[in-house]
Amino acid sequence: MVIVAPPRTEPAFNGPEKTQLEAWLDYHRATLLLKCSGLSFEQLATAAVPPSTLTLLGLLRHMTIVEQYWFHKIFADQEVVPAYDAPDDPDVEFNDLQSATIEEVERDFLDACERSRVIVSNADLSSLARAAQPSTPIDLRWICVHMIEEYARHNGHADLLRERIDGATGD
Amino acid sequence: MQEPDRHEPPHAGSERELLETFLDYYRGTLLVKCAGLNEEQLRARACEPSTLTLLGLVRHMTNVEQNWFQRIFLGLEVDFVYHGQRDRDREFNDLEGATSDQVERDFLAVCEQSRAIGEAHDLDEFERRSNDEWRVNLRWIYVHLIEEYARHCGHADLLRESIDGATGD
Repeated sequence: MVIVAPPRTEPAFNGPEKTQLEAWLDYHRATLLLKCSGLSFEQLATAAVPPSTLTLLGLLRHMTIVEQYWFHKIFADQEVVPAYDAPDDPDVEFNDLQSATIEEVERDFLDACERSRVIVSNADLSSLARAAQPSTPIDLRWICVHMIEEYARHNGHADLLRERIDGATGD
Repeated sequence: MQEPDRHEPPHAGSERELLETFLDYYRGTLLVKCAGLNEEQLRARACEPSTLTLLGLVRHMTNVEQNWFQRIFLGLEVDFVYHGQRDRDREFNDLEGATSDQVERDFLAVCEQSRAIGEAHDLDEFERRSNDEWRVNLRWIYVHLIEEYARHCGHADLLRESIDGATGD
């Protein structure tokens, strides 16, 4: 099984704040899948740009639990079972790549993104995260912009990993 | 290049405050990734087959700042810091010439110009360069630049780690 490149929509060039943030977030979610598409498990699990230990599969697993953390847990205060969790390894999503198949990783990622989309679409950007520390309020606006820049930065990592793996480049 | 002052964006606040501080955070991050390296290290294609270099990224973002804030948003005729008649990626490819000190000075000066332009206009204001349905507003430019810086800082992360092992946000 390989990941199939998803449809990806360029964010509209103008418009209100929330529409733009949602569109950029979806653009970068799709970009990460695009960078993973068509590769074998071995390729996805290769630390292709040493000394960095990053892998494409690790990035996809990482962003799954980042979605769960910021949108589901901190903002919405929902019950969350992290898709990747180990009591003795805080970076288990990067380190234990054999624990799930490509199919499972992609499904958990898409499920987490869909749950996040529903949360964002039903909330105001100025509303505060329910599970944040009262001393440091966090609003949905910050979470959305942070997620865009976190995805974009990891997609920069994904660019160089993918180019090293099979020469493929592009936005 | 020197490590700049870099401030974490506030975790709650207005749209404008957040966009301005995140953009500044990433301008600073790109310089952090370059800080303390010599001229040769800044020009190293450290993650081949990619041809990207840290100095090329700073030069590229200098042009990108000029392009979005000055040429497209204000509709000005712009004399780009790096321009090539025959090589449209000259800022990446022709790294001889300017020293890293000069590249850093030009980058900081252009960022300062962008800041002044951004602060003086409403986020809903449209670009002056074109008047069609594809025209961008200032809000789009801010979000796009944040994600473009962030993506290139991802490139810079792996370049820097390959050069001297340094990592970190």
